[in-house]
Amino acid sequence: MGDRRSGFEAQVLPHLDAAYRYARWLCGSPSDADDVVQEAVLRAFRGFDGLRGDAKAWLLTIVRNCHATALSQRQRRGFVPLPDEHDPEDGEAMIATAPGPEALAISLDQARDLGRLLAGLPERQREVLVLREIEDLDYRDIARITNVPIGTVMSRLARARAALKARWAGAEGDPKDVS
Amino acid sequence: MCPDEQRLQAYFDAELDAQGASEAARHVHGCAACGAELERLAATRQALRSKFIEVRAPQGLRAGILRALDAEEATSVRPARGDAAWRTRPFWLGLLGGVGGSAMAAFAFLLLFAPRADLVEQLATAHVGSLAPGHLIAVVSTDRHTVKPWFAGRTDVSPVVVDLADQGYRLVGGRTDAIAHQRAAVVVYQHGAHSINVFAWKSDAAPPADTTRSGYHMAFWKSGDIMYCAVSDTGWSELQGLEQLLQGAGGREQRP
Repeated sequence: MGDRRSGFEAQVLPHLDAAYRYARWLCGSPSDADDVVQEAVLRAFRGFDGLRGDAKAWLLTIVRNCHATALSQRQRRGFVPLPDEHDPEDGEAMIATAPGPEALAISLDQARDLGRLLAGLPERQREVLVLREIEDLDYRDIARITNVPIGTVMSRLARARAALKARWAGAEGDPKDVS
Repeated sequence: MCPDEQRLQAYFDAELDAQGASEAARHVHGCAACGAELERLAATRQALRSKFIEVRAPQGLRAGILRALDAEEATSVRPARGDAAWRTRPFWLGLLGGVGGSAMAAFAFLLLFAPRADLVEQLATAHVGSLAPGHLIAVVSTDRHTVKPWFAGRTDVSPVVVDLADQGYRLVGGRTDAIAHQRAAVVVYQHGAHSINVFAWKSDAAPPADTTRSGYHMAFWKSGDIMYCAVSDTGWSELQGLEQLLQGAGGREQRP
């Protein structure tokens, strides 16, 4: 194993779980997430010499790019219907791309309740919330990964938190739902 | 006056500068509403994190990535057998680049062992590459009378092709791959969820010992002047089962 390879395994592969979690929230199905993560790690390996700064944020940026590429390829081939072009900032209007039955089953099984609330958030709000609350990235890294200004990260995050709070309150009938 | 929602959240997220943070801290200390909001934010974070941080990349994905990295390393530095082969092997590089007197011995070592090591590497790389979507099969057919003639003119050998669906090895097609500087024929079988590539090329050498590379088992055998290698991530018994069936079929084909 070369130095480059062992350096890559030491610096980047520890973030494989984070890459996978992020991809799972981005992609409709677990197998799509697998493909996206695998492609992202390979690309990361090829571009490893260009790594500057935080490896985790860097890898997640590549995951997001790979997801965008895969999505546009599938759409070109007509595998997935194009989502309606809502204003992405008009949060409530854009319900996240409807998860397929497979993804729905997984999210119900693995992370019921809270997972369902999170999955119901608009994609862009859910993304910043996941990066901030679960992956513990700061605003600057989230801005870099999602390719928007920090101000947009802050407003999306505030909207995401408000939306989750509203849904949480709506699901309050059974307090176990959110424990 | 209470900080606005985004400012309070920036305080919660530790994104305010020192002065802003101390102002916010003073305010929150004396404001029940903001204090309650901070607690709620913390509870939400705690709930989300504890629930989802346990989601981990599946073992299969991790293994697939390591194999892909192996293949990437192999293909990016090793265009062909020969002078480039040692560049992937720092151990030999050390021998070659070290004491001048040992260079000859190192070359002898290379000559003796590199061809076989390189063959195994080629087979592993070809197998891993074939698993990429759309790369496994060039001629899709479960009919040996379609697959076998397809090789004519495309490869340097005419391999044994049989459908062994009844024995659990379904013929799914074929393709060609460059192995040992030849256009090798590859017959693809499906066994349960596993793809098995059976490579066939012309060789004067004796079959190498069965081996495992990057998690893939390789079973070698010879029939006449054709060398066969079955590669898969199945268990040894499944691979050797196919080997026996193909050897039996090869024997029957050769009879007049």
